Amino acid sequence: MSRWLVLFGKEWMEMTRSYKLLWVPLVFILFGAMQPVTTYFLPDILANAGNLPEGAVISIPLPTAEEVMAKTLEQFGTIGLLVIALSVMGAISAERTSGVTAIVLVKPISHLAYVSAKWAAMLALILIAFAGGFCAAWYYTAALFQGVAWQSSLIAYLLFALWLGFVGSLTLLFSALLRSGAAAAACALGIAAVLAVTASVFPKALAASPGMLPKAASAQFMDAASASHPWLAAAAALLVMAAVLAIAAWAVRRRPTLEA
Amino acid sequence: MELTTSQMMTILLPIALIQLALTITALIVCARAEETRGPKWMWVLIILLVNIFGAVLFFIFGRKQA
Repeated sequence: MSRWLVLFGKEWMEMTRSYKLLWVPLVFILFGAMQPVTTYFLPDILANAGNLPEGAVISIPLPTAEEVMAKTLEQFGTIGLLVIALSVMGAISAERTSGVTAIVLVKPISHLAYVSAKWAAMLALILIAFAGGFCAAWYYTAALFQGVAWQSSLIAYLLFALWLGFVGSLTLLFSALLRSGAAAAACALGIAAVLAVTASVFPKALAASPGMLPKAASAQFMDAASASHPWLAAAAALLVMAAVLAIAAWAVRRRPTLEA
Repeated sequence: MELTTSQMMTILLPIALIQLALTITALIVCARAEETRGPKWMWVLIILLVNIFGAVLFFIFGRKQA
């Protein structure tokens, strides 16, 4: 365990030195805060945008607080995923290229410990960043629209954080399997997109698909009844994450350096 | 919307400050880096001109691994 903590400390230091611990949460907070604010000022923004004939009347119904929160989650589902995939993509492939992996694994450390320390650090980063963004969105929604019940918000946070962690784990896996970081990010985002789309097209058949998670998270704000079984999808996501760790550890064992 | 200017400020100021913090850190990191991927002046322009994503782009692609 103490060895694992050393590895975790190394990952943490890497995240501080590369400023990930700073900019990822800041970006999440910015987007979380901006979504309610732009929604609130949308009529003003449209009115000032020009190109409208004199006397045109724009009437946009003010969305409810719940709709704003659901919309914010949608925002995190695109930009948030992109940011996470891009910041995780080099986790293993870059260290393999630079030879750090080989140096670390000279020590008596299991491959699984090496991968899982990375995974835990990534998960901590995601939880912190998304908590910041989610709180900012929650705060601004409460200030500009109306408060949202914290119980459903907490469940939505956990479900969506699991989805973000799931996609982050996929990125980590492809980072271990593939040579290029960009390809790893692209593969993970592609799979995430396919899962989310298929889950929204066949919600009944794919109730246990992790792709249900973002939908289930927004459904917490709309009507909790429609998301009756997000727990199956959550369990499936956790299982896949465990499998991803095992496969990534195997991939690192098989090819610790580029030359080998 | 019926908001006074000071109310507007209290809403928008935190967002502006966070964005400013992001931009300034990116600029400092860029200035202190020994080498960046691509010319430094290009990154300074990207950080300053591309809203929010400029700093993100620099942090992801601009830094050279030590």
